[in-house]
Amino acid sequence: MHTPVSTPSAPQTVGSVMVVGGGVAGVQAALDLTELGYKVHLVEKSGAIGGVMARLDKTFPTNDCSLCILAPKLVEAGRDPNIEILTLSELVDLTGEPGNFTATIRKQPRYIDEEVCTGCGQCTLYCLKQIGNDFNENLETSHAAHIDYSQAVPASYHIDPKACLKLNYDTCGLCAVACQAGAIRFDDKEKILSLQVGAVILAPGFGRISDEVMARYGLGQFQDVITAFEHERLMCASGPTGGEILRLSDRKHPKKIAFLQCIGSRDENCGNNYCSSVCCMYAIKQASLAREHDPECEITLFFMDIRTHGKGFDAARERAVREGNFRVIYARPPKVEDVFDGGLLLTWATEDGKHHNEKFDLVVLSQGLEAPDDAAGLARSAGIDLNPYLFAQTSTYTPLAASRPGVYVIGAFQGPKDIPDSVTQAGGAAALCAGQLVSGRGSETVTASFPDERDISAEEPRIGVFVCHCGINIGGVVKVPAVAEYARSLPGVVYATDNLYSCSQDTQKLLVETIHQHRLNRLVVAACTPRTHEPLFQATLREAGLNRSLFEMANIRDQCSWVHMHEPEAATEKAKDAVRMSVAKARYLTALEEQQLPVTPSALVVGGGLAGMTSALAIAEQGFEVTLVEREQELGGRTLLLTRDRFGNDPRTTIAELVSTIRQHPKIIVHTKAEIAAVSGYVGNFTTTVDTDKASVVVNHGVMLLATGGRPYQPSQYHYGESPKILTQLELEKKLAGKQPLAKAAKQVVMIQCVGSRGEDLAYCSRVCCGQALKNSLRLKNLRPDLGITVLYRDMRAYGFLEDNYRAAREAGVIFTRYQVEQKPEVIPDKGGAVRVRYHDPLLAETVELTADLLVLSVGIVPEDPTTLARMLKVPVTAKKFFLEAHVKLQPVDLPVDGTYVCGLAHSPRSMDETIAQAQAAAGRACHPLARGSITPAPIVSKVDPEKCIGCGACEAFCPYKAITIYKEDKSRKARTLTASCKGCGVCAARCPTMAIDMGRFTLEGIMAQIKAFGEGARQ
Amino acid sequence: MSDSYQPKILGFLCNWCCYTAADSAGVGRYQYPPNLRVIRMMCTGRLDPSFPLEGLATGADAIFVGGCHPGECHYIDGNYHALVSASLVHEALDRLGVNRERFLIDWASAAEGPNFVKIITAFTKRVAALGPLGSSEGLDQAALRTRLAEAAEAVRGRKIRTGLINASREMMKGGDFSRKTVAGLVAEKCEKALNELFV
Repeated sequence: MHTPVSTPSAPQTVGSVMVVGGGVAGVQAALDLTELGYKVHLVEKSGAIGGVMARLDKTFPTNDCSLCILAPKLVEAGRDPNIEILTLSELVDLTGEPGNFTATIRKQPRYIDEEVCTGCGQCTLYCLKQIGNDFNENLETSHAAHIDYSQAVPASYHIDPKACLKLNYDTCGLCAVACQAGAIRFDDKEKILSLQVGAVILAPGFGRISDEVMARYGLGQFQDVITAFEHERLMCASGPTGGEILRLSDRKHPKKIAFLQCIGSRDENCGNNYCSSVCCMYAIKQASLAREHDPECEITLFFMDIRTHGKGFDAARERAVREGNFRVIYARPPKVEDVFDGGLLLTWATEDGKHHNEKFDLVVLSQGLEAPDDAAGLARSAGIDLNPYLFAQTSTYTPLAASRPGVYVIGAFQGPKDIPDSVTQAGGAAALCAGQLVSGRGSETVTASFPDERDISAEEPRIGVFVCHCGINIGGVVKVPAVAEYARSLPGVVYATDNLYSCSQDTQKLLVETIHQHRLNRLVVAACTPRTHEPLFQATLREAGLNRSLFEMANIRDQCSWVHMHEPEAATEKAKDAVRMSVAKARYLTALEEQQLPVTPSALVVGGGLAGMTSALAIAEQGFEVTLVEREQELGGRTLLLTRDRFGNDPRTTIAELVSTIRQHPKIIVHTKAEIAAVSGYVGNFTTTVDTDKASVVVNHGVMLLATGGRPYQPSQYHYGESPKILTQLELEKKLAGKQPLAKAAKQVVMIQCVGSRGEDLAYCSRVCCGQALKNSLRLKNLRPDLGITVLYRDMRAYGFLEDNYRAAREAGVIFTRYQVEQKPEVIPDKGGAVRVRYHDPLLAETVELTADLLVLSVGIVPEDPTTLARMLKVPVTAKKFFLEAHVKLQPVDLPVDGTYVCGLAHSPRSMDETIAQAQAAAGRACHPLARGSITPAPIVSKVDPEKCIGCGACEAFCPYKAITIYKEDKSRKARTLTASCKGCGVCAARCPTMAIDMGRFTLEGIMAQIKAFGEGARQ
Repeated sequence: MSDSYQPKILGFLCNWCCYTAADSAGVGRYQYPPNLRVIRMMCTGRLDPSFPLEGLATGADAIFVGGCHPGECHYIDGNYHALVSASLVHEALDRLGVNRERFLIDWASAAEGPNFVKIITAFTKRVAALGPLGSSEGLDQAALRTRLAEAAEAVRGRKIRTGLINASREMMKGGDFSRKTVAGLVAEKCEKALNELFV
């Protein structure tokens, strides 16, 4: 399954990795790698990392603020001493072997010294030469001396040599005069760097659809035809219009918007036959945001198929369409025309053959994802193969390995994909690199150091308050400056201000400066939620020489501006209250001692299917022991039910090889016919009882992976089970691999999609069934080209390169007919044994009946019941019984309980290659604590005041972790906390009869102060 | 909603379930009335029984405590202990003549943003109908708040807390965590101390 790992010939394995591309995938891979003990050279073509995600306003399916979830990662990458960020750089050559490559990098001059630049922006202010602002899609101008975007990492400016007057004509040079820091370097030169790296991860992202293709839809000709990227910037608070959707022609709000899909995708005319996978969902997102911006405007979306196949996507889409009151039309308008009295004319034909035309104010083109502009050059430099569409060539069973050993590929360059899948692949590639370079682990990394903590115990509270606009997420509802102003009036506050994005790198710098300048000793940030952003601000606190416990967050976004969007006054009052309560608590915060706990360097994986085995192997390859627990007699799981992949290979061969690798691996212990009986402990120190048919085994392990899988939906509809002619796709797979795949007389096959899925019994799309139907149709056609095949579907979700199969199937004569959910096909089994299928044909506008010699039901995927395990581990599951990941975008394979991870069908339906990448990602993430060797839990433990303690033992009796014990001292009994075991729940404090126990950060004084501060507002 | 009374509600939410549910309601842009103010705790087990009483004494019209579903506490059984504290609060409210509907303890898992919204919306509506603290009770608000403050102080005293310890012990031993049983245990074990307090 993996690129074979050469026996670690220790001396020459280099403990560093080069990551090419600083978008979300590359940055995530870099962060994961340093956690795993490897140094990273992050090579970015542009002037700053962040990639396309930094340009997005929001991200689907949650419509979370894009920059807010990306910025903490960028900041972390920027401050990680083991990540070297090389901007304006590209890979030009790669020689050597896996484990020891020499990479040649060409680094263009910035003309402004990164080390010296303070990011003040004076150079831009004085620069005479205007250029287009590429970050804002050239909808506004910037200057030759500029920064890509204000939250950019590195937070340093650079000069565009193509535009600069000094560099081209030896005039001007004003920036050098204006720069107080003296950072301007007109004599800066291109550098060629030579780096020794053990492995390479390519994450260059995607390219744009050419202007020529876009011009067919009037882009460039009509001002009010815009790209989705332009629309994204118009919606964004930091965009050219400050977050207003305006027509470029007249600066007016459009009242009628059309979204056109599949621009430059699924289009043979432009050579992009594949589906770009993300545009359906991003159009839904953009439509939802357009609705937020204007509750009145008319919004129409034109789809060929609605491909919203990701986890939770269908539910998000349905809600968006319903609540946003969108008009959804299945059609592909071929062009956009201008009409004399203003407006843009669209003409389209619907499936019933009728023609329509209508005028719109604004047309948004949902452009697809193309291979990166210089894909061929990059492939040459890196020595890898490309597929016909110039994306990287990978295989189903090694989805992250490029054709050259030691080179990995992730993100959109591996195939068009969304952010969660890109982040997942990043984690997977990091795991593979870590496995490949295991003998070099830690050889090139340094430990991050922080300044000594200032002792503030004798100081009066000096609180700083930072109130975040979060673009328009908070600022669009809550009057942020008024909240900051109010904060200034609160006791203990010596400084308060507001920021556009509190989590960006420039703000972190500002926070540190402000802490020093005003000698702050406590920090309150009013922004999103501590659940995602507290670690970032705490790291900043440590950089400023303060203990991380001197921090408090007021949640004024997730629990305020987002839930009171139409009540700005009330939301502002609520935000003020939240800030007042946080400040009140902050006054009582004290520095808390940190503790380090050892980690048992091993993992336990539940589930021995493709996901479980892949992750077990990826962990073992990194040098950690793994216990693999499988319920059945044999390893292999449901993949064994598949007899061919879409390239004609037999997956069972690969599975057999994997099983034998696992069985023989010295680091892997397998328990089959085994189940988890009990789990206790926490990250780093789990103890699990595994019951096998023979014995009960107790396993100590540091982390736990859940790969409990899924099974095919058992249909009861369409007369399944009543006739041997009615099969599921999996049963057809089996038949196709058998001696007589198809009855001799068989003439007609009918397939029905979405059996059980998308709102039948299962509320979700099962993702793989469309691909499976296409694959099996082609197998049947191969077998017998004259066989009639009709596929009855709702949307053919042949995303990514699966579109090739869809086209091939149509070319081979397979008939595809869409059915409506309210008018499902009808199956009539005759007494004589014939199976008739009756359905509505929209093209003919009449009911058609076919006699099916074979009726194949494309049944969905049901997760194995997660309830017992979920209860044992205290991890949440979704209403659909899949495990709920910690964060859809940021932590797609982490579960909310530290040290637990999920992959495979237990996470959501997915294909084999996706499962493998995800399992490798879970393996990579799981190895973070194992590689670190220790954990530093939050210091929120209980503390007993021996003066007040009467030794009653109630705390000891109620503590769920045996973390508090009674000891004897001078004949009196006293309680004592075992800090290593304490998890900070606070039951002991709530039950102590003498109030002798208090909790770190959640002290009695602090909470009482919060309550009192609440009262101050309530009584007004 | 706008014409009716706008109640002041103070909430204590556990980090792992209800606080997360509240966040996910935000991410999903589910809207609810803006009356709730939130204090985050790691677990509802941290809830000192004096906190809700203190909240009412200091200006709240109602108190909400939100934790994980029974059996799903991140810390194993903290929410059962919260039920013990909650029973004492209800007991105290009864004795003070305060409508017990002003104090609610309920559950929403991390995955249940919409459920959290439903709970808060309904609770806000109910409390709005009750009006300001004291009005539905026919009691003078200022005097009531003073008595609530005294009750909060008493609940931090050893006598009542010893009763709670005994109730908790019995609850853990018996393994019946139904609200009714827990309330019964608290009423029984704290009766003497409460009688002394509320004469």
